[in-house]
Amino acid sequence: MIFDISLYLALAICVAGLIYKIRSWLTVSVDHQDRQYPPAQRAGAALAGLGRAVFSRRIGPMLRALVLDGLLQGRSLHHSGLAWVAHILLFVGFMGLLLLHALGGQITASLFRDYYPTIDPWLWLRDALGIMVLVGVGLIIARRLFVRGLRLTTRTRDRLAIILLAVVLLSGFALQAVKITSSEAFDRMAREYAGLDDPQEIKALRSVWATDYGVVFAPGQTGGGEELMALGRELNQNSCVECHSPAAHAFASYGLSMVLRSVALALDRAGGPQALYFIHFLACFLGLAMLPFTKFLHLIVGPVILAVNAATQRATMNPAARAALRALELDACTHCGTCTVHCSVAVTLRLLPNDEILPSERLASLAAKAHGNNGDRAHLAAMRDGAYICTNCQRCTRLCPLGINLNDLWTALKQDLADEGLGAPLKEISTFAGKAALPSRGRKEVLVNTNGFQKELKHSAQANSFAECYSCRECTNACPLVFMSEWPNQELDLLPHQVMYCLKLGLKEEAMGARMVWNCLTCYECQEACPNLVQVTDVMYELRYLAAQAAQAATA
Amino acid sequence: MRYALFLGCKIPSYAPQYETSARAVLKELGLKLAAVEFNCCGYPLRDQHFHSFILSAARNLALAEAKGVPVITLCKCCLGSLKRAQSFLAQQPELLSMVRAKLALEGLDYQGTTSVRHLQSVLHAEVGVEKISDLITRPLQGLKVATMYGCHALRPSRITGFDNNAFAPSLIEDLLKAVGAEAVPWKGRLKCCGGPLRERNPELSLATIMMRLKEFADSGAEVLNVDCPHTLLQVKWAHETLTVQGKASLPGVVLYPQLLGLALGLEPKRLALDKNSPPPRELTGHLPPPAEGKNLMSKVVSGNCCYLLP
Repeated sequence: MIFDISLYLALAICVAGLIYKIRSWLTVSVDHQDRQYPPAQRAGAALAGLGRAVFSRRIGPMLRALVLDGLLQGRSLHHSGLAWVAHILLFVGFMGLLLLHALGGQITASLFRDYYPTIDPWLWLRDALGIMVLVGVGLIIARRLFVRGLRLTTRTRDRLAIILLAVVLLSGFALQAVKITSSEAFDRMAREYAGLDDPQEIKALRSVWATDYGVVFAPGQTGGGEELMALGRELNQNSCVECHSPAAHAFASYGLSMVLRSVALALDRAGGPQALYFIHFLACFLGLAMLPFTKFLHLIVGPVILAVNAATQRATMNPAARAALRALELDACTHCGTCTVHCSVAVTLRLLPNDEILPSERLASLAAKAHGNNGDRAHLAAMRDGAYICTNCQRCTRLCPLGINLNDLWTALKQDLADEGLGAPLKEISTFAGKAALPSRGRKEVLVNTNGFQKELKHSAQANSFAECYSCRECTNACPLVFMSEWPNQELDLLPHQVMYCLKLGLKEEAMGARMVWNCLTCYECQEACPNLVQVTDVMYELRYLAAQAAQAATA
Repeated sequence: MRYALFLGCKIPSYAPQYETSARAVLKELGLKLAAVEFNCCGYPLRDQHFHSFILSAARNLALAEAKGVPVITLCKCCLGSLKRAQSFLAQQPELLSMVRAKLALEGLDYQGTTSVRHLQSVLHAEVGVEKISDLITRPLQGLKVATMYGCHALRPSRITGFDNNAFAPSLIEDLLKAVGAEAVPWKGRLKCCGGPLRERNPELSLATIMMRLKEFADSGAEVLNVDCPHTLLQVKWAHETLTVQGKASLPGVVLYPQLLGLALGLEPKRLALDKNSPPPRELTGHLPPPAEGKNLMSKVVSGNCCYLLP
């Protein structure tokens, strides 16, 4: 009764959740372009695109991706053998248990005529599959603990999923173990299947099950004696063996039952098996109900993304379908951390305390943003900074086990943030520096102030070499930017040697704001040409750092 | 001895032909590679975050140090970045101790012992021009090549050590001669491709590469040789822009390992020549038929690109 009610309730929640999710894939948008496409158009474009792909030569790559990257998880094999082993164990074990055990009566029974969960191979197979999942969960916990990137980014969501899986598995093993030792379960089975009513026969069968199957009976319910055992063995042979392989074949549960022997009777009397049964199926149903809202959703959307991305190019995709695919991708991320562990710029986190540098975290923030949880301006700015520290190397996109095109999402994120006034940081800094330079630009008299200024250019050892400049203009003559400009002084504000000279005069703002500094090609022609070893290009870099610091100080 | 191939952020996704052809050529020359998962060289961070740039570069060098392998870069900006960071770390003890402390958190250390060289330097100094000439089976008979040196490899010359004379370098010309090609003197040879400005000022960035292409058109060369993914992307961008505008573009762009591979007798497919944009359509005409006894190759003309297929 409770089983049925909770099952249908869980199913109803799951279905409702999935409908809610599908609706969100048709409405959630990453950038302004995606927002143009109403649900109907997205659904139409997505279905049409899928249809075209299925009935074309592209079905080949799609099937290939589904088998190699979906079933065999080839994408994770590329980056970490351990992660692949963990996930394969989890996946095979979980799907095996789902089909053989949870849906055994429906699926396995229809495939194998003599299916019975209590006989081999099903009996030992269930334990083997359970152990696979358990080992997989153990490996995943170990990875989360010992791989730095993963440890840093583990969230409640990840812990909940692991805990739920562990509860299902451990309660399953415990349930099986207490059922093995349960005398009440024995009595019920003996009544139903053996149909014994002679006390002597019952005692004989109990004795056999106590010694051979590990059932724990109350004192006096079993007896010794060769004769009694022989009778019991005969009864066992006639009534039980056909449907019951030796309990020890359920090796893990049997082992656990050995440990529990001393408390088995008390557990049995206290209703241990029932309690564990409740815990087990309720945990399973909780997982089912929460499927659309947890990382388990990737079981459904993962294959879709793998297949679609194998058959399509993001650049040439119908934009309405792309909007739906992006929304789907945001929901598909399992926060497995593969992108973050291999991120090419993750190392910068050691100096720039901004989690949004890490792709897994930025994706989570992007998903929240797309669903309307923007966070404050500082959070958006942090996302922006992270997105621009990213070098678009696409390693995350190549490695994502689900094939999520993260790079496409980063492009959309940058576009969206730019629409909200958060564009490229360097652009903002240069604008700031340009404005700061205005008051001093063009004035006739200058206040020379070199006090302590040299110390401000502190990043590189040679930054102060500007002091050695004697304005010979070799740098300016070598500069391709000067060469390309029609009116260099007007287009660049200052020429390279003038930038150096400004610094000598202590005109920091004027140098920092010059377009020369911000359009510098960093080709090092000036530095190479300087006869007095002024590190002209490196000083230009230094001025950009100085402006960045000034801009940061101004906003703070 | 084994080397670590430093691909950087651009090559795997945007210029895979560079990796393909470099690996094919290195294999052919018997140079062995060790697998190291590097991170960003620091170059893209350098405009804004000096310390992150240094730490990123140093981490790569520390990874190579831990394996005891010298680094070969393909990207010239990666070379410049790693070399520049090395020199800063050698001169600034405070910077060095900060970097070492951060690296120690993941069990790495930076001693500054890793040798960093560009592929072309390794070919020139370690394999040697003479040996390359000896190995050539199909010299590129007078193919006129205009080469671009790449700013961040060439300068600052004291730090990058690519060629001792940054005003009149000869390293790439030596290598081109070794494969039978003719290096054409031209204006853009030592100049900037505009790549560093692509994010900061796209307009100026495009104008810069367009100017190079104009100079290339006046050079009389048949093919443009570049060996930096940033320049490759700049050329591709300019080519696409010109195509959209309906204007004639340049004859084609080619990487040195692709030229070397062809001259060594490798199949064009192994050098991913078809991935170049624009494709070097003049190239195959210069290839002599393979020597007797080698696998027969025939010219297959497809579109404006010639492929050589067995």
